[in-house]
Amino acid sequence: MSTNRWFATGNFYTTYREEQRIFKTHVDRLFFILFLMGLFAWPLFIDASNRNMLVINNILIAVVAVYGLNLVTGFAGLISIGHAAFVGIGAYTLAGTARTIGDSHVLITHCWPLMILVSGVVGAAFGAFVGLPAMRLKHLYLAIATLSFQMIFTWAIQFMTFFNQGQMIAVGRVFWIHGQVGRSDHYRFWYYVILVTAVICGLAVRNLLRTRYGRCLVAVRDNDRAADAMGMHPGLTKVYAFALAGFFAGIAGALHTYMFRGAGFESFTLHHSIIYLAMAIVGGLGTLPGSLLGPVAIQTLELQMEHLSEWAGSFLPASMNLATALRPLGFGLVIVLFLMFEPRGMANWWRICRSYFKLWPFRY
Amino acid sequence: MTYFFQLVVSGVVVGSIYALSALGFVLIYKSSRVLNIAHGQIIAGGAFIVYALTVWAGVPIILSFLASMVITFFLAMSVERVFLRRLIGEPIISVIMVTIGLMSIIDGVIYFTPFGSMNYSFPEFLPSTPISMGGVSISWTQLVGVLITFILIGAFSWFFKRSTIGVSMRAVSDDQLASMSVGISVPKVFGLAWAMAGLSAAAAGGIIGNITGLNFETLRAFGITVFPVVILGGLDSIIGAVVAGIIMGLIQQFAAGYLDGNWGLNGTADVLPYIILLVILLFKPHGLFGTHEIERV
Amino acid sequence: MKRKYHRLWIVAMAVGLALAFMAPVQAAETYQLGLSLAITGPTSDAGNPYSKGAEDYIRFVNETKVLGDAKVDCPIRDDMYETAVTKRNFEDFLDQEMVLFLSYATGANQALAQDFNEVKIPVIPASMDKSLVGMSEYIFLPIASYSHQYVGVAEYVAKNHKGGGVPKVAAFIHPSAFGRAPLEDFKAAVAAGLKLDLVEVVEHGKDLDNSALLQRLQSKGVQYVLCQTVQSPVATLLNDAQRLGMTAASFGEAGKITFMGAHYTGGNDLISLAGSAAEGYYWTTAYHVTSEKGPWTDWQLDMAKKYERDDKTANSHNYACGMMAAQVAVEAIRRTREAGQEVTSATLYETLNQMNGDKAFESLAAVGPVTYGPGDHMGVDTVQLYVVKDGAFQSEGEPFKPEFIK
Repeated sequence: MSTNRWFATGNFYTTYREEQRIFKTHVDRLFFILFLMGLFAWPLFIDASNRNMLVINNILIAVVAVYGLNLVTGFAGLISIGHAAFVGIGAYTLAGTARTIGDSHVLITHCWPLMILVSGVVGAAFGAFVGLPAMRLKHLYLAIATLSFQMIFTWAIQFMTFFNQGQMIAVGRVFWIHGQVGRSDHYRFWYYVILVTAVICGLAVRNLLRTRYGRCLVAVRDNDRAADAMGMHPGLTKVYAFALAGFFAGIAGALHTYMFRGAGFESFTLHHSIIYLAMAIVGGLGTLPGSLLGPVAIQTLELQMEHLSEWAGSFLPASMNLATALRPLGFGLVIVLFLMFEPRGMANWWRICRSYFKLWPFRY
Repeated sequence: MTYFFQLVVSGVVVGSIYALSALGFVLIYKSSRVLNIAHGQIIAGGAFIVYALTVWAGVPIILSFLASMVITFFLAMSVERVFLRRLIGEPIISVIMVTIGLMSIIDGVIYFTPFGSMNYSFPEFLPSTPISMGGVSISWTQLVGVLITFILIGAFSWFFKRSTIGVSMRAVSDDQLASMSVGISVPKVFGLAWAMAGLSAAAAGGIIGNITGLNFETLRAFGITVFPVVILGGLDSIIGAVVAGIIMGLIQQFAAGYLDGNWGLNGTADVLPYIILLVILLFKPHGLFGTHEIERV
Repeated sequence: MKRKYHRLWIVAMAVGLALAFMAPVQAAETYQLGLSLAITGPTSDAGNPYSKGAEDYIRFVNETKVLGDAKVDCPIRDDMYETAVTKRNFEDFLDQEMVLFLSYATGANQALAQDFNEVKIPVIPASMDKSLVGMSEYIFLPIASYSHQYVGVAEYVAKNHKGGGVPKVAAFIHPSAFGRAPLEDFKAAVAAGLKLDLVEVVEHGKDLDNSALLQRLQSKGVQYVLCQTVQSPVATLLNDAQRLGMTAASFGEAGKITFMGAHYTGGNDLISLAGSAAEGYYWTTAYHVTSEKGPWTDWQLDMAKKYERDDKTANSHNYACGMMAAQVAVEAIRRTREAGQEVTSATLYETLNQMNGDKAFESLAAVGPVTYGPGDHMGVDTVQLYVVKDGAFQSEGEPFKPEFIK
């Protein structure tokens, strides 16, 4: 421990343990704690409107889902184009329960943390099942296996009467210590729940990657034969990566259902799978900060495009579809340009930023 | 029995249209290993160009059909040049993501035109009486569609087998490094692959548009419909796309013809391809004709 | 050099983030509405003209001072047919103190029904799904539900079927709740004594060829196909039927099939898609269509011309649909003001509920007056049957009220 634990101007690891630390320096830890405190504290000082809270909650739910996608696609290298279906599995676990036992049953309204967990577990089970082809498939063939799961999921939900044929299945309002969470507190309450979940999940992912199981994923991604030779089972590892992805997606799905107060199939279509993938890639595959930055960036971009097209609509001739067209056009253009110039995603900026401050104020 | 034969004929017709839609997809994958998510949008774009030329510019439909193919040929080529050329050598997933972005861009462009929100149909240029033989019937539109499909696929097959450029494209898909070392320009091959994909997509769009009418949602859905087809046939096989397309068409028609309405089932034609797809993936992961590059893990 | 760009990007991002959470400032003396619908994405071929109808009518109200000096502000947001986005827009509009919500899709309305009940805000949707009325007492359908229209078509078949026996019908429906819901009411109507024989229910996929389906239906003796879906699949079906020579030349022609359908299966879009194959297609809706000249359609075309809409939009029944939704909203505001009440969600709800008897609202866009009451949240109770003749929808008979539906 000869190095300064507050500032590190380079990598001076002398033991493996040191390299595996979550926080390289105390400053890192301090910033992280401050950031976390900020996240928890700001709603006490700023009175955000319902709509803004909704947007923020949505972003955080996407963060939880993207953790899962990043595990399977980023860390284990298995492209998944069916992530929204896993989220849907979670959502429909909860909704299906609500439909069976009634939407205001104690289990739903009081034991909601349990329900969220159960949804995650069911998501994991489905993840493992869909991951089975991974024992034999690689690359894009696997991607398409996940795509077919997505299609089958949407069809099954729309076909089965049990799931109300894809129509809305409502869940009741939950209870907290002070009683029922009413409309006025709804978004704020769920902000905290989702935030806590996201933080726990984030720490879990970070820690997972320090363990044997996490490194296993990366090893299989980088070279599965070598991993095999090292005594890992690549097939099982892949199945387990899918199960993990399914778990996070399931949790995100349950949170989604609670926050939107019900589940309908429209929120779990192929389009959403693609958006999740976009979030993971724009954020940066195979990085933890990427899972945070991606959802923030994509959702902000979407909102910005909405503002832009609304603003453009205020002076462009109404007879044209310009304002309407501007939204998808701008969205696609920003993503394409971004990836053309930064194919490694926003996490790369984060890395550059950090390495800049590592030496700051000295430049080499 | 007539019912059965009608199902077979319809299946072959629908299947060959699937094959043509899948062709462009396979071309891009074959040369550059990129999954083109924006394929449906290109199909729709091709159909709209045909309509715009025919109805708004007054060009005879056959000419505008050809012109549309030429236009998308160059459009797709420039898309590759502008957006994808920079990404050669970057992770494939980033390139796939770029095609997702492209999808949004093309959506935007189409929403800018009246086609984004309005429905149109081509003027009728073929006799509307069908050709029927012993109760089995096929419309002129469909027949012409099938013919165009087979002509195009034949042309592509010839091109890849015989022409120098075609052979160099195959070389690139086999081994990029080796083909570069013998003087093949890999970026040019990629550009050409995109261009040809654009061309075949426009042809597919023109044919589908003639059958379903021009509705943006319907047309772009074909980008997804081709997935089971290309997997069944093998992602990088043109012959595979044809055979798989026809098999898929037959499966769908038989599903709709014999399953729907019985045992409380309905709409099976839409989901059955994906279920079959999953089974195929488990037992024959490289498809019927795909290169056997997949090893067991 | 490169690093500089990164800093620039980050600053741009931060500004972007800040802007995303800013809400527009609201002006005084205006009544705030909100419209969230699919201008892009699925069903945008209906949503786009609908949004233009609503937009134009609101502009007309503000320009011609229908409400005196007061103005109506109705922001229109594209939700791409996504429930989550609709909810965001709804909350955003609420933050801007919206008094009445114009909504769109069935799914989104179902998802938000609980919120409507809690906020107690009147809602006028574009979806005429019958279940919506049961889910929230704050939802006011402008016209009769899909179920009414569908059963209306069926009743026409039962009444006008020539030749012996019970007419055999098949249902051609969208593979979703939207398609299946009216079917339940249809079955109930048959159980209640409607003399029809439902031979087969077909949920269509993305079919390119329906030959087999049509041949099967014909071999089962089906004479009428009742559609409840969107235009594109119907167009393919009609094309195939024409090709096979199965389309009935006149209503109920023996040995042939007559095609009929409700709300979203018809309109000029169908003719655009199916061309001559659409001849003889029967369609119910509650709107006047521009192929049948009348005071409303003249006005509709004038409006479209005034606001420079293209021909397709001007002649779309969805354009009329959007106008009418805005019309009902503005009318409610006008009446509330006239009664000397403050315009709030609560008073608007009251006003809408009183819109019956001699207070019924003649919107002209529809074939009957809009009547609401505490137990009746379906505006126009009658439906009109149209049939395609010479490439245009022409009215068939008088507006009628379906009897076999509860």
